[in-house]
Amino acid sequence: MVSIQTVKGRKRLFQYLKHKLEESRNDMNNYYIKKALFSLLTLFIVITLVFFMLRAIPGGPFTREKPLPDATRERLEAAYGLDKTKFEQYLVYMGNLLKGDLGPSFRKPAYSVNELLATGIPATAKVGALAVVFVVSIGIPLGVISALKANSIIDYGGMIIATIGVTVPSFVIGSLFILLAQHVDFIPVGGLDKPVSFVGPVVALSGYSLAFVTRLTRSSMLEVLRQDYIRTARANGLSETKVIFKHALKNSLIPVITYVGPMIAALMTGSFVIERIFNINGIGRFFTESIGARDYTLVSGVTIFYAGFYIIMVFLVDILYSVIDPRIKLT
Amino acid sequence: MENKKFNFISSEQQLDKEQVRKSLTYWQDVWRRLRKNRLAVLGLIGVGIIFLFAAVGPMLHDREYNTLNLDYKNVPPRLTVFNLDDDYKVFMSEMYHLMLVSEDGKLIDRFELSEDDKDFINRTYTYRLFDEDDNEVAVVVADFTYQTDPVKQQEGIDYSLTYKGTEYKEAEYKTWNKSFYLGTDNNGRDLLARVMFGTGISLIIAFVAAIINLFIGVIYGSISGYSGGTTDIVMMRIVDIINSIPLLLYVILLSVVLKDSWFEVNVLDAIFGAGGLGTIILTLVTVYWVGMARLVRGQILGLKEQEYILAARTIGVPNRKIISKHLVPNALGPIIVSMTMMIPSAVFTEAFLSFIGLGISAPRASLGSLANDGQQFMQTYPYQLLVPALVIAFMMLSFNFLGDGLRDALDPRLRKG
Repeated sequence: MVSIQTVKGRKRLFQYLKHKLEESRNDMNNYYIKKALFSLLTLFIVITLVFFMLRAIPGGPFTREKPLPDATRERLEAAYGLDKTKFEQYLVYMGNLLKGDLGPSFRKPAYSVNELLATGIPATAKVGALAVVFVVSIGIPLGVISALKANSIIDYGGMIIATIGVTVPSFVIGSLFILLAQHVDFIPVGGLDKPVSFVGPVVALSGYSLAFVTRLTRSSMLEVLRQDYIRTARANGLSETKVIFKHALKNSLIPVITYVGPMIAALMTGSFVIERIFNINGIGRFFTESIGARDYTLVSGVTIFYAGFYIIMVFLVDILYSVIDPRIKLT
Repeated sequence: MENKKFNFISSEQQLDKEQVRKSLTYWQDVWRRLRKNRLAVLGLIGVGIIFLFAAVGPMLHDREYNTLNLDYKNVPPRLTVFNLDDDYKVFMSEMYHLMLVSEDGKLIDRFELSEDDKDFINRTYTYRLFDEDDNEVAVVVADFTYQTDPVKQQEGIDYSLTYKGTEYKEAEYKTWNKSFYLGTDNNGRDLLARVMFGTGISLIIAFVAAIINLFIGVIYGSISGYSGGTTDIVMMRIVDIINSIPLLLYVILLSVVLKDSWFEVNVLDAIFGAGGLGTIILTLVTVYWVGMARLVRGQILGLKEQEYILAARTIGVPNRKIISKHLVPNALGPIIVSMTMMIPSAVFTEAFLSFIGLGISAPRASLGSLANDGQQFMQTYPYQLLVPALVIAFMMLSFNFLGDGLRDALDPRLRKG
């Protein structure tokens, strides 16, 4: 038994605590490294799966409704290395991928997949980033206010807006917006030329997420406000602002972060529907067009981008968790 | 205390203060709490209405979802009627089809317009109405110069109708369409019948997908959560992998692989009928169980540390039974809530698939495919988009309210506010 009455005892206790702290830090670091490795493994499996899945389905990049002459097709396939066995193709593809080269696009011969992604990503990401900002900056405050003023008119108003967002499909919001744009002069009907033209896509894209985040924040905030430590904080005479921002908000954000992480990935990587309605040349469009055209490399490229982004977000959420709530057990 | 102070009472007599309350089972308690929640009751009624609309509606409605009425294409639910000299009441559609309308808003006949009667030089159409014996009974001339002539453009109308020498520039009154209550689509199919049919299809998709997902998700999630260790890690990695591949990729790949395959023709179409219904359900099933599996695993992880599980293990209850008798029933609350939320999201996804052209194919329809069809003509015929969109919204709203209410009723700790 260590006694804190003696100098020696205090020293030993101090050293023991220091040792424990270091141990837990090492545990944390090990956990992150393990998670990171798992994430990489997941990405690798996704790439492999998509590679073979695409080649397993009927049709190929050079199958047309009006078939090409066999000689032409064979030469085209040889040029793109499609005459090799699938496994050889896979090794070549993975080798290039390690160098950061996603290969040439099969159906847009003048471009490489890297170039296509470089043209598509900015438009998609701009709309996506704005949507994320929109969702977070409106949804969380609205949810918090609704929870603080639970069962008041403000609460009901907020929840009605939130419920409408969940109940109307994004293509309907988008279509209605286009309909509106035709009658209002200053809103452009499509494209992303003017700052105003972002309004439609961003609203349509974020509708569902906005509503979901608002509801999630509200219910989780209500849950936290009922906890004992909030009552203790109030009993200790903390100002209401401090109670809410320092104690309640931080804890109520945990479930919200779980949702927001993958949501960012989903919004940033674009919605095909929104891009089609608003005529935006983003990767969502490439994606659907390229699957139909069996443009193997382009599909793989977009999927890698999407999956990579998603996996990184999930990883970040995990790390954020333990930052916000150190009690969360790392396994 | 003396015994005298106490009196015996007869067995019929009861003490005034004794409260007799029926003991409620868990589900009776849930039902009681659910009934108290007004929004949840509204949601329940809404879900009931949706079901009646889809199941009973088509029986009461005398029009079929797939009958083509080529004479009455794109007729709106609200008719603007011209009163021609009190002889005839006519309606001019956006497609410039002239129709004879009865007093109360029924469509009786369509005026014929032969190619010879289309005068492109003077920009007039001459419509003729024939009776049963092919006798011409009425001639109406539509003048379209109001769209081109600079002077006439000032009047701000598209056309005028001339009958027996009198020119009618404005419709006299508006009436509801009594032949097709919600109008017709681009092929003259009754929109009300189609929306009813589509609601049914959407519900079938949602329910079958949700139930299959429930089974896969619960089994997968509980095995993963209960086993723990390496099994859990591997199973959750698989979930991660499925989650990180975009939904669209699966859907398109699956629909391409399945298209006209033996499996689609002999299994899916045999169960669900033609039109891609089975394929859509299969696609939803392959992806959606992931969320359920995650949820169940999370629940089980918490529950399996409880003492009663330890007790069950001590007396040697097999794992299979621990999962099915002890763990899953205790996680039922969140599972049911997630089911009610899965139904609207399946309808959403189906709508999205229809939007990109991978949904139900005509003449069958789902709410999503109806909204998508309507979206193409929304400039001219906004009702074709609005009607299915409103039904979708109503359905979502009802299921959401019901789901929220169920969550509160099943687990009072989570009650909001």
